[in-house]
Amino acid sequence: MRGFARSLAGLCLAAFPLSACGGKNGTGFIQIKTVPVATVSQPPLYLDSDKLEPLKKGEAVVTRRVGVTKLQAEGAGGQLAVLCEIHVRKNRITTVTISIAEKPPRCQCRNNPDAASRIPRTCLG
Amino acid sequence: MNGLSSIRRAAGLMVLVVSALPAFGVLAETEPNTGAESFAPVEEYARKVEDFTKNAPNLNKKIEDSSKRIDSLDDVSKARSEIEQLRGVVADLLGRVSDNGDLVRLGAKALDHSRRKLQALEQDTRFKPDETKFLIEQWRELIRQTERAAEDLDKARREFAELLGMLQTREDFIDELVQIKRAAEAIKVIRQLTSEIRDASEKLKELIGGIKPPGA
Repeated sequence: MRGFARSLAGLCLAAFPLSACGGKNGTGFIQIKTVPVATVSQPPLYLDSDKLEPLKKGEAVVTRRVGVTKLQAEGAGGQLAVLCEIHVRKNRITTVTISIAEKPPRCQCRNNPDAASRIPRTCLG
Repeated sequence: MNGLSSIRRAAGLMVLVVSALPAFGVLAETEPNTGAESFAPVEEYARKVEDFTKNAPNLNKKIEDSSKRIDSLDDVSKARSEIEQLRGVVADLLGRVSDNGDLVRLGAKALDHSRRKLQALEQDTRFKPDETKFLIEQWRELIRQTERAAEDLDKARREFAELLGMLQTREDFIDELVQIKRAAEAIKVIRQLTSEIRDASEKLKELIGGIKPPGA
């Protein structure tokens, strides 16, 4: 039974790599904003290993499984650098603003004032 | 609904126009993205948009009913659990229009197919100039309508995200008040919240009512 559940989850992830497959803990949302909005070249962004589509008008809201997700940016050499960790909670939205003018880009968490003191920064929903 | 039937009519018309031309039968075998086949992504997207606009008012009604119930509650824990349920309803709506959801994916696919189809038609010499012009105009209009639906869904996504953010922040504030035994203030916050929810609900009703599937 557990094997079946695992293969079902695998199938779900294979079919919808970026969408949440509604595990037993449900899903929440990540709202990503970039500042400044109108930047010609935006570094490719990843949630864990899932590449995000370029943000339209500097903003995106994505559904994500409940749990901790790493927000990463692709550097010049194609290496992924962790910008921050995002805690996704059921039916809640975690807002993260990425300052892309900085090198490397920096995460600003909306709901977590002590995020700056942690490495990596941790944004809560 | 009107939207779908007009899409079907448009698809039928396009298939009729192209299949009436003798050369089409041969070309269809070599060009995979022609006729009704290239129209399928637009139709699928229109159907999904229509599903969304049909179902959203029910969820919007749930939001209104829930705010009424919250307004009449004096028990903070019951009100809090009602807000939590309300978050579930808003999350459901947001999930449907999120950037990695079905609707956005299908919208991008429909636009991509339509643009490629338009490009192909612009270089197509099979038809009479007025026939080509007619088909090009039809596809241009469909592209405009698909882009408009996508923009409206973008607005809906921003509104749902804002509403969800507001609900969770208020809920957190109520929790903080409860922790310091300020139940009366918590009730006051709950009352303010219901009026904010009603305003948001009105705005959403208008917004969703304005979304038209391509072809409608």
